[in-house]
Amino acid sequence: MMRRVALLVSAAAVAGIAGLMAFGAPTRAQQAGPAVADSIAVTYLAAADTAALAGPRQPIFFRHDLHAGQFKMACQYCHYSVDVSSEPGIPSLETCMGCHLIVAGSDSGGRAEIRKLREAWTQKQPVEWVRVHFLARHVHFPHQRHIAAMGPNACATCHGDVTRMPQVYRVNNVNNMGWCISCHVERQVTRDCTACHY
Amino acid sequence: MSDEGQTQTLDRRKFLTVLGVTGGGAVALSGCSTSRVEKLVPYLVQSEDQVPGVPTWYASTCTECAAGCGLHVKTREGRAIKLEGNPEHPVNRGKLCSRGQASLQGLYNPGRIKSPMLRNGDAFTAISWDDAIARLAAEVTKAAGRIGVLSGAGPGTFSDLLADWTAAAGGTAVRWEPIGHEPIRAASRSVFGVDAVPAHDFGAARYIVSFGADFLDGWLSPMEDQRGFATSHGFDGDSARFVAFSPRRDLTGLNADEWHPVAPGSEALVALAMANVIGGSGAMGGALAAHTPESVAARTGVPAATIERVARAFAAAQPSLAVAGGAGNQHRAATELATAVNLLNQVAGNVGRTVLPGAGPALGDGYEGLARLMTAMDGGQIGLLLVHEANPVYALPKAAGFREKLAKVPFKVCTSLYLDETAAACDLLLPNHHPLERWDDARPRAGVTGLMQPVMEPVFQTRATGDVLLQVAQKAGGAFARFTAPTYEAHLREAWRATAADDAAWIAALARGGVYAAGAAPAAPAAPAVSAAPALSAAPATFDGDGEFVFAPYPHPFLSDGRGANRPWLLENPDPVTKLTWHSWIELSTATAKRLDIRSGEIVRLRSPHGEIEGPVYPYPGLRDDVIAAPLGFGHTEYGQFASGRGANPLDLLGAPGTAGFIPYVSTRVRLEKTGRYREPATTEGNPRQLGRGIAEAMPLDAARRGLTVRQAYVEAGHGKHEINTELEMEAIEGWREATVESRKLGDYAVAQPAWGMAIDLSRCTGCSACVTACYAENNIPTVGEEDVLRGREMTWIRIERYWEGGEDAAGHGAGGEHGAAAGHAHPEARFIPMLCQHCENAPCEPVCPVYAAYHTPDGLNGQVYNRCVGTRYCGNNCPYKVRYFNWYKYNERAWPEPLHLQLNPDVTVRARGVMEKCTFCVQRIRGAQHQARIENRPLADGEFTTACAQACPADAIVFGNMRDPDSRVARIRANPRGYHVLEDTNVRPAITYLAKVLHPVEA
Repeated sequence: MMRRVALLVSAAAVAGIAGLMAFGAPTRAQQAGPAVADSIAVTYLAAADTAALAGPRQPIFFRHDLHAGQFKMACQYCHYSVDVSSEPGIPSLETCMGCHLIVAGSDSGGRAEIRKLREAWTQKQPVEWVRVHFLARHVHFPHQRHIAAMGPNACATCHGDVTRMPQVYRVNNVNNMGWCISCHVERQVTRDCTACHY
Repeated sequence: MSDEGQTQTLDRRKFLTVLGVTGGGAVALSGCSTSRVEKLVPYLVQSEDQVPGVPTWYASTCTECAAGCGLHVKTREGRAIKLEGNPEHPVNRGKLCSRGQASLQGLYNPGRIKSPMLRNGDAFTAISWDDAIARLAAEVTKAAGRIGVLSGAGPGTFSDLLADWTAAAGGTAVRWEPIGHEPIRAASRSVFGVDAVPAHDFGAARYIVSFGADFLDGWLSPMEDQRGFATSHGFDGDSARFVAFSPRRDLTGLNADEWHPVAPGSEALVALAMANVIGGSGAMGGALAAHTPESVAARTGVPAATIERVARAFAAAQPSLAVAGGAGNQHRAATELATAVNLLNQVAGNVGRTVLPGAGPALGDGYEGLARLMTAMDGGQIGLLLVHEANPVYALPKAAGFREKLAKVPFKVCTSLYLDETAAACDLLLPNHHPLERWDDARPRAGVTGLMQPVMEPVFQTRATGDVLLQVAQKAGGAFARFTAPTYEAHLREAWRATAADDAAWIAALARGGVYAAGAAPAAPAAPAVSAAPALSAAPATFDGDGEFVFAPYPHPFLSDGRGANRPWLLENPDPVTKLTWHSWIELSTATAKRLDIRSGEIVRLRSPHGEIEGPVYPYPGLRDDVIAAPLGFGHTEYGQFASGRGANPLDLLGAPGTAGFIPYVSTRVRLEKTGRYREPATTEGNPRQLGRGIAEAMPLDAARRGLTVRQAYVEAGHGKHEINTELEMEAIEGWREATVESRKLGDYAVAQPAWGMAIDLSRCTGCSACVTACYAENNIPTVGEEDVLRGREMTWIRIERYWEGGEDAAGHGAGGEHGAAAGHAHPEARFIPMLCQHCENAPCEPVCPVYAAYHTPDGLNGQVYNRCVGTRYCGNNCPYKVRYFNWYKYNERAWPEPLHLQLNPDVTVRARGVMEKCTFCVQRIRGAQHQARIENRPLADGEFTTACAQACPADAIVFGNMRDPDSRVARIRANPRGYHVLEDTNVRPAITYLAKVLHPVEA
């Protein structure tokens, strides 16, 4: 009910929006007011950024291509509950700090991002990641069942090959029932509505 | 669909416009209703016992009444979302009543006090906890020796601490509950020599007689008593007969096989006459000699022959059980009644078998203690009063003058969670944590100690009163020097050293919800000392005033003494007897209403020597003609948005309790005046009669014993015309059957699947409605409010229907009833039946849906897909059971004012306006269990999970499972000859089998 919703637009788009503020886009002043359900916050980007990459820009430039790709960390090291719960689990800051207490980064760009993480940890402020994959709330997707059926490396089936993504973007529109059904038809598993809708 | 209700400061159309103009942003848009960006906020440090998406359960103890049932609290992502019974707990064995379940709405109640407050003229100002503690410490020091403490908290470490603390501060602590059962306790003292209430083994009793004891409405230990009653009275080869003597038939009375409307205040005479018939020995026999059935018949209104018959059957059944008491029957002779019933049990040989003296719930100091405190307050001897978990300003008759006496106390402190009537009259408010937010324990009875632990972070800036007491002690010093525990949690742990010395034992106790003595069931005391010739005063009760009617207020089964009135679930769940919601009423017998030409809903005024109230009339067939009744619990002037302004408080008609030692609720006579005004009763009742539809079936005990089916029993009783379908219909049914066979060969339907089904035993169901509350909690069902109940828009996926059989009710339906099954009774008999989606195999709702939102799942559910539903309501119109509910308004936005929305179950879609919804057989639980079985790579076991209603049912009347598994419990119960389907002739083939109620023969 009370999920916070944010809107991310590129720096170039901001100027365009500014002229349209009059008819509805919230201003910074409005955002500072009392928390309204599902209000929209606008994040301004710095100039040198990852906007060129696909996918929404994240508060920290976390690179799946390094962690899951180059370093070959298992998905479930961070997404720890994917095989036992409907929710895959977003790693706690503590999990990140488990390594990054020691690992400080090899280049200046990486170091800057890890500094952001350490700062968040010191200030006890969770990092608010922008969600890439989501489903409408009348759909229930049990991750654990799909891992049980398709194995621990099945993630790429829906989420794409994140080991090659510096910034995660949506490869497949998972919020489209056709996406689910085509796979269920192919594999000859249930197509019952109440398997997911209740 | 379900997301429609989300308020957005920037609506979707404008957002798209903006995006279009600026040439596209970083976010790609598609899909339905997800044109927004969400954030994922991780934990800083992952709590080890929380896995997102998986519920974490904590054991705790219910504090809604003195019974002290064990709880299992379901939490998701750090929030409590549902309360269920603890199966290990000896009192409730996994079951939980509506009041206990609604404790969750106490936790998230919008009326909670959010921080400490200090009186500032007529209003309160929020202050900091440091400030509040400092002020209280200063006031306590100032008023040393003149401290008064009034607490409703049950016995436990907290009440011990409170007593110690009060002693150190110099003063008196009183433990008081409005419905304190003082008469039962006094009678136990005088007859058994035990100063505590007894426990009752209803399960062992073969014949039960109640003199107004409302053991299915509340009374001493509702879950335990109801479980026992269902065991003995529910049919399983045999059924114990239950006879009720009371002026009004409460829910307990409606479950009786025979009801005798005895004159109010004269019940003791019936009990003594019964004892006389059975015959006591020695001195007791002599004392009883004066009370022959003939001598009491005139004064009680019960024929001598009836008393004699019941007495002989009572003595012959071994063991039997007689119970008395209950606030709705608490007149000035209540102690004498309880004494007489103790003697009756004694002469019948029940003491130590079904009556276990002293083993019942531990109660407070009674009204006597409060009366002493009030005298001291009146005399100016109290300098500071601390009120904890009590609301005497509301729960005492106005004539007792508590408010005036309170005003004489210079400084009043209240720890109530809510701004109730008493809190509103105090100076300093120190809101306590809810029991689900704090550490505590409870000793509801000997051998049972329950623990409470914080299951989540506090919702508001409240503080546990145990911590407040310790902090004040440390601040004030002096006599308080011995209170050294840094926190109440540490204090509790220390108090538990004797029970749980090491951490392993402590953690084991926490996980089990407490410590239960071996055997756990209350143990029979060794030969209780029954005094040979107790004083047998049988003087009938006296009543104030000279009005025409005796006034009998009774505790509402859900609101009790008024503490449940701020919980929407309890207000919307209809009273099981009257089926009225949200507002108070005044009950007149149907004959009286007819005689005075008063219709349902007509507002009348009742006047007693002490005051007057007004309310709409409910003509009730289960009431004596010379009695007027009204439910307690309504008529709050404070206590939050849900409670205040709902009808009248019947206590306004009562006088001061006087020296009785208890509140004699039934102690006034009233006059009735018409006002000429009208208020439409918000009832959920449809037709009060079955009109031959065969909905809630019953069969004679004798036929059930011989294993007859319902239809065989009808035929035997001379009702020949009971072929279910005509020949023509049978032909059509055959055609349908063939078509079904074909459809079963397609897709998912061809695969072997479970077939979910349910069995409901009407001989066990008491109509208590715990299942209804459980369904509201599990399935995010919105409460719609009085106005929409009046329009018939309540959303209750499962409802308890109450039908009258025989006799004459308010609607003027004549005697006879269904197949004359209840013939011979002068008054209507009640039949209760839980009605929910029948998940018909041949469901009429499915073919009429133009968008396939209602369809049949391969595992036998009648599915309802919210995101497909376009709200044509054809399905609802075509449902013969009327169990589909249309969501007319944005209930998703208004039914859960903050922070009540935190109770929502994340596994169930919150439906928005414009969709049809109905019972899903808790499909989220089915899927959850299936997922779990799948990842553990094992088949789903029978009984591994069940629906919310079946889980809650205190009588264990509802059983859910896979009908296709011949060994499942549900499959076995469905094969019972008493089984039938409601509206079977429509060939909808329901997945719910009801087992017919069993009727005891009518005896003169």
